[in-house]
Amino acid sequence: MIDSNLSATPSALPALAAALGNSVVWQAPADPLHAPIAAADNFVTIVLSCEPENLPLVVRTLTEDADFRFAAIIPCEEGSSFIVAYWFYRSAGHLRVKLRVRVDAAAPTVPSISAIAHAADWHERQAEDLFGLIFSSHPKLGDFVLHEQWREGVNPMRRQFDHAPLATDADPPMPWSPETILETPGAFVMPIGPVYSDYAESAQFFLETVGEDVVRMIPRFFYKYRAVEKLAEGQSIAQVLLKVERFSGTSAVAHAICFSQAVEQITAVDPPPRAQAIRLLLAELERIRHHLSVLSDVCHSTGMIVPSAQVDILEEQMLRLSCRIGGHRYLYGLVIPGGLRRNIEDDQLQLLADEVQRLRSQAAELFSQLQFTSSFLDRFEGVGITPLEKTKNLGLVGPVARASNLAGDLRIAMPYGYYHHIPAFPEALETEGDGYARIRVLFHEIDSSAEIIRATALSIPPGEHALTALTLAGGEALGAVEAPNGAAFHGVNLAPSGTVRRLALITPSFTNWHGFHLAAENFAFQDFPIMMATFGLSMAESDR
Amino acid sequence: MANWFFSGLFSRVVTTRYPASPEIAPGTTPGRPVGQQANSELAASAAAAMCPVGAIGAHGRDTTVTLSQCVHCQACRQQPGIAWQNDYQWAAAIPPSDSHRSQPVPRAFKKSLHIRIVDGGSCDSVLNEIKQLGKPFYNMHKLGFFITPSPRHADVLMLTGPVTRHMEAALKATYDAMPHPKWVIAVGSCAISGCVFGSDLMTALHSPPIVPIDVVVPGCPPPPLAILHGLMILAGREGELPPEPAIPVVPADPELRKVTSPEMSP
Amino acid sequence: MSVPEIFLLLGLAFSIGGAIVLPLLTETLVPRALAIFGSAAAACLLATSALLLLGHSSLTIHLVTLPLLGTLRLHIGGLSAFFSLTLGISFLPAYLFSDGYMRRYQGHFRTRNFASFFLLLLPTCFMVLAAGDVITFLLFWRIMSLLASLTIVLENTREPVGPAGYLFLSMNEAGIIVVTVALLIMAGFSGGHIGFAAIAASMHNVSAPWRWIFFLMLFFGFSTKAGLVPVSSWLPRAHPLAPANASAILSGALVNFGIYGIIRFVAILLPSTGPLPGLIVLIVGALSALIGILFATIESDIKKMLAHSTIENMGIIAVNIGMALVFTAEHLPVLASIAYIVALYHMLNHSAYKTLLFLGAGSIDQHVGTRNMNRLGGLLKRMPVIGATFLIGALAIAAMPPLNGFVTEWLTLQNILRSEEIPSALCRVIFALCGTGLALGAALAVTCFLKAFAMSFLGMPRSQNAADAREADFSAKAPMLALAALCLVLGVGATWIIPGISRAVPQLADHHATAALVPPFFAAHPPNPPFKPQFISGFKTIGAGVGAGVIPARGLVILHQGGKSNPVVYAMSTFYMAIILALIMAATWVMIRLVCRRSRAAIGAPWAGGMRDLAPEMTYSATGFSNPVRVIFQTFFSAGQREDSKVAVESHFRTAIRREQSDVYLFDRIFLAPIAICAVAISRLLARIHRPSVVNAYAAWVFVILLVALVVNRLL
Repeated sequence: MIDSNLSATPSALPALAAALGNSVVWQAPADPLHAPIAAADNFVTIVLSCEPENLPLVVRTLTEDADFRFAAIIPCEEGSSFIVAYWFYRSAGHLRVKLRVRVDAAAPTVPSISAIAHAADWHERQAEDLFGLIFSSHPKLGDFVLHEQWREGVNPMRRQFDHAPLATDADPPMPWSPETILETPGAFVMPIGPVYSDYAESAQFFLETVGEDVVRMIPRFFYKYRAVEKLAEGQSIAQVLLKVERFSGTSAVAHAICFSQAVEQITAVDPPPRAQAIRLLLAELERIRHHLSVLSDVCHSTGMIVPSAQVDILEEQMLRLSCRIGGHRYLYGLVIPGGLRRNIEDDQLQLLADEVQRLRSQAAELFSQLQFTSSFLDRFEGVGITPLEKTKNLGLVGPVARASNLAGDLRIAMPYGYYHHIPAFPEALETEGDGYARIRVLFHEIDSSAEIIRATALSIPPGEHALTALTLAGGEALGAVEAPNGAAFHGVNLAPSGTVRRLALITPSFTNWHGFHLAAENFAFQDFPIMMATFGLSMAESDR
Repeated sequence: MANWFFSGLFSRVVTTRYPASPEIAPGTTPGRPVGQQANSELAASAAAAMCPVGAIGAHGRDTTVTLSQCVHCQACRQQPGIAWQNDYQWAAAIPPSDSHRSQPVPRAFKKSLHIRIVDGGSCDSVLNEIKQLGKPFYNMHKLGFFITPSPRHADVLMLTGPVTRHMEAALKATYDAMPHPKWVIAVGSCAISGCVFGSDLMTALHSPPIVPIDVVVPGCPPPPLAILHGLMILAGREGELPPEPAIPVVPADPELRKVTSPEMSP
Repeated sequence: MSVPEIFLLLGLAFSIGGAIVLPLLTETLVPRALAIFGSAAAACLLATSALLLLGHSSLTIHLVTLPLLGTLRLHIGGLSAFFSLTLGISFLPAYLFSDGYMRRYQGHFRTRNFASFFLLLLPTCFMVLAAGDVITFLLFWRIMSLLASLTIVLENTREPVGPAGYLFLSMNEAGIIVVTVALLIMAGFSGGHIGFAAIAASMHNVSAPWRWIFFLMLFFGFSTKAGLVPVSSWLPRAHPLAPANASAILSGALVNFGIYGIIRFVAILLPSTGPLPGLIVLIVGALSALIGILFATIESDIKKMLAHSTIENMGIIAVNIGMALVFTAEHLPVLASIAYIVALYHMLNHSAYKTLLFLGAGSIDQHVGTRNMNRLGGLLKRMPVIGATFLIGALAIAAMPPLNGFVTEWLTLQNILRSEEIPSALCRVIFALCGTGLALGAALAVTCFLKAFAMSFLGMPRSQNAADAREADFSAKAPMLALAALCLVLGVGATWIIPGISRAVPQLADHHATAALVPPFFAAHPPNPPFKPQFISGFKTIGAGVGAGVIPARGLVILHQGGKSNPVVYAMSTFYMAIILALIMAATWVMIRLVCRRSRAAIGAPWAGGMRDLAPEMTYSATGFSNPVRVIFQTFFSAGQREDSKVAVESHFRTAIRREQSDVYLFDRIFLAPIAICAVAISRLLARIHRPSVVNAYAAWVFVILLVALVVNRLL
């Protein structure tokens, strides 16, 4: 057992090393007992490798004893074998663990860890579909990312796929039906989608029910799968940046920062402070706008037309503000590796500060009015509860996790960029885990983001807005950013020539959709859109 | 509840007056790059070379911008040889090709068009911009455009995104479920050209496209006013638009998705 | 010998002859022979009762005079004839239906024995109705119960069938034992005369407490047979397990005997003791109606659902009888007559549509192989005639105009509104509450039968068997078509039926009821009371007189007048409704043809959200359709049903959620189970005495009891 409250990094390493014992090989830092840790480092990345059979034990030690949170599974094909990288992180001591497992590509079987860290479930299913990795003892593999028109055994992320003729379509498509588990006479499923509702993104839900009350929900995603990770392979950083920004346009800044962060880690450069500060402002502006958009959907889902319209007005004002200061309503094209594409002048930042302050008071007033609207609260209180224990086990992130009292805001847990330099702000935690708690978290975050902008906008350091040039280097890194929906991780592997060899996008929507079934359980059918709205997740971000 | 009634009642009207008069509020549109005459042939070809998506072409000293491929990355914003124009009326009608002949929108439909959106794998910002159309600032309902959840009630299919393989069948089913006469409007550059997500692997870049497109609204994402412009063109209500730029008409297939924007003189 | 007597003898001959001949035939001939003999017998008995009813005559036959007991006689009066008419309506189609239906049992079960019992059931039933004295009545009643339980157990190798037969027999026995005791005591009061008439005469001298005892024993004894609450749970457990032709009889004809008993003995024999007995009948009826239809609505076994609905309909009949008793006690004879007419009319209707629906359910069972509506669907395309006739039956039982169910439900509710004429406030409140219950029941009946039809016949087939089903043969179609036509006729011809019933049972419903319900709009000079000339002419100006002189009837409009404080006249005419409906449908058809002449309809797949293929398990199931009712009445059902939920989890993944519902049978648990446990305990105790090892003790017991008996005799 390791004392997880250790804050000093150097003393944490020996304890971890002792707990893991011989089951792993330490690769970096090579000597955990005497590792030189620079105080300026934001975080320490521990690289371990282990044999596949030791994997469950190591993961159990990391997640259960050492209090690490699961971040990602990033497989990468290298020659005739797979390197499966398991990423974990911990706020205490600002540690990241990269656990490398090497398996033979001819017989790629790895033990499943989703029974230990349930958050890994979808990562494993995704890797099975795209890479053909077999996760032994995982009960639910197959048909996840790739739908029925894909032949079994076609794994588009494999190298061999590129050389094979493009005959992916199973013709006719294989019959597919959701895996129902409700064994009650007369039970049936209500299918929703993929084309449904007014503005909804493409996704499909099967509600298992015996009528009236829905017992559970079976999601079917990846209708919007554009294979962004595959398309990125072999492309230049500039090309990939376009995709990273655009695969989920409402969180463009966060993902651009995340990707740039990873590239900057590989090339070992720090963007100038002004660029970092402006990035922070843009990210917080985006968070405000994103949360307003979610709140608009929330109000709309209960038919509260007036509050919905009030929030809509604020949202459009933020869109216009973004366009005025950044030239684009969704702030595309500003963040680039090494800084910003263009400077944002001080008078523009003044405008930003003023407008956001105005919005802040309006949002606060709106919130106080909503809190006294019983017809509004009735629809959210006790609806779609995500219990803390399960939230933790599923590794949920962002406002959804915070509504269940699960801390983990990366801006606080693992501060990056300019977040080191701003005054501490509290994490918006709530305890109930229901729809109303999620709404409160959104309002609180709008408020704290506005406060951050107020405190930062007028005192950002002068200087260059970007590095003049980026020295190309090969390597791999994990970018970690708190996107509006929660923690986003970008695994970037660059070739020495500067082209992207492998891109892995671990998005908060992907993480949180995995936990949506916690809320969508034993509910009345009419609450389904309300629960969807309070989760506020993006399908584009999840499907990639 | 009474609070909401009064707070709604006493809220300022924010709805745009477009198309009765041009919208001039700042921040409604990111604008767009337009080709112009560069100082030298070298400058023109440099402009063409720096565009990461190849939307800029150089012909001698002239540059052209293929708006349907532009992703609004702002890279060319201060580039010599490229002008940046802060307008939004850039939707374009596609003249019917031989294979597809949709009739003009009849009189009865002009002020009541019902739209079914099909998300073919778009990023959510396009959908968010479409959503803004139904919200106070743009309020397309006053112009007679409505979003309907069922294709059975829809006259127009609004397509967004590059149409992923997984959405192909659903898009077709939706189009087939719509009653005649029906029209298709493609919103966003990726719905027109596939853009940065266009690939043989996961998106269906069919030529001819899965559904015949009548009007395109390029942009990444196109601002709400551009989409509204596209809808006005679709409904054949060009006469009601503010007399600004001419309606670009593009040549017919086979390069249907490559819509060139009109040459704008600086 | 009169003509009815000849038909009667012929009918008996066909049945008994058939029952003797059938066991000798080879099994392949049995269904056809059963159909021929049975339908001939049923037709003859139908003719007998029809002739008696039309001729307003009665038939009395002295059977035999027994020493000590007196003369056993048959007396077929109006009431008996009317009930035997409902017998015929149910039996004739059921026998015809047997021809095709019984073939499914060949080689698996003993169809010859079943056919004999089934054939003998008709004459036995007839004899129960014809009985003119207590002994004959009880004797044939018991034979009837025995034969009926024997028909239930045809599929005796299937698990719940044997117990179901015993359950039926034991519940019927329990009821009739109570009735037997009551009737024998009553016969004792009449000085040992066992004739009904003699008992009736003697009852006027009986004191009120005894009348109360008789009422309670007779009513609850017979209500067991009718399946009224609280003793109703046996009915949905026993009726659905019989073969469909027998189920049709059990629900279409045999439950009527409970009603017959109540009317014959409670309403006619016992003099009134005030409104309270009537209120008890009313409350029991309303509760039965509501509980029956609630359970029917959530049931997905089509035959069980019909059985629950039988309880509902018996409840409606009981409500009318209860109202009649109260109105009689309150000296409102016209209203009482109306209530009796409605009770009998509703029973007639119920026999027609319930038989029809059970035959439909049997056809489905035969051709699909399941009665579970969750596994049916889309049968209308495959079984169009069965589907159309089932639809008519479902509309009729859901009280949709212009079909027969509507007429009686309308009249029942109107009658309840007339409770304002009763002086007692308590009575009015109870009437109002019962009326609310009935109205709710009527609404639920629509849900229930909408579900029954839609889930069976519309949508996608939810099983391969349903997809492979084929149309039933002529022997199923013909009786169902006839019954569907009968439902329509009984509805449209209400203005003929009401006077007919009133003439048939003058001791219950006098001609004032007819005059009040069916005013003589067609008469050129209507008799003055009860309608004023201006009232009649007022109606004639809006068309109530149309058809006079052409259509032989009193009129085509049924009226229900409000009382003194509520002088509103409610008028209704199913005949005109039918004509208008037909006109609207024809006009719509013509319009569609005219408008759509040039355009052609586009036929496409249903919109399913862009899914690739919509599977049947993604469409509404029968359970799902009615589940809102279950959720709304959660508290009610939680008393009668238990829900078990189990979740299987395997390393964070749930692999199964099992939810099962089982019926609790509250009344059985609270009242019948202790009786059964006591009975078992006593018989155990007695069995111990019987043990051969203690034969001496057994002999000693005999001696002791003899001694005790002698002492007791001495002391008394």
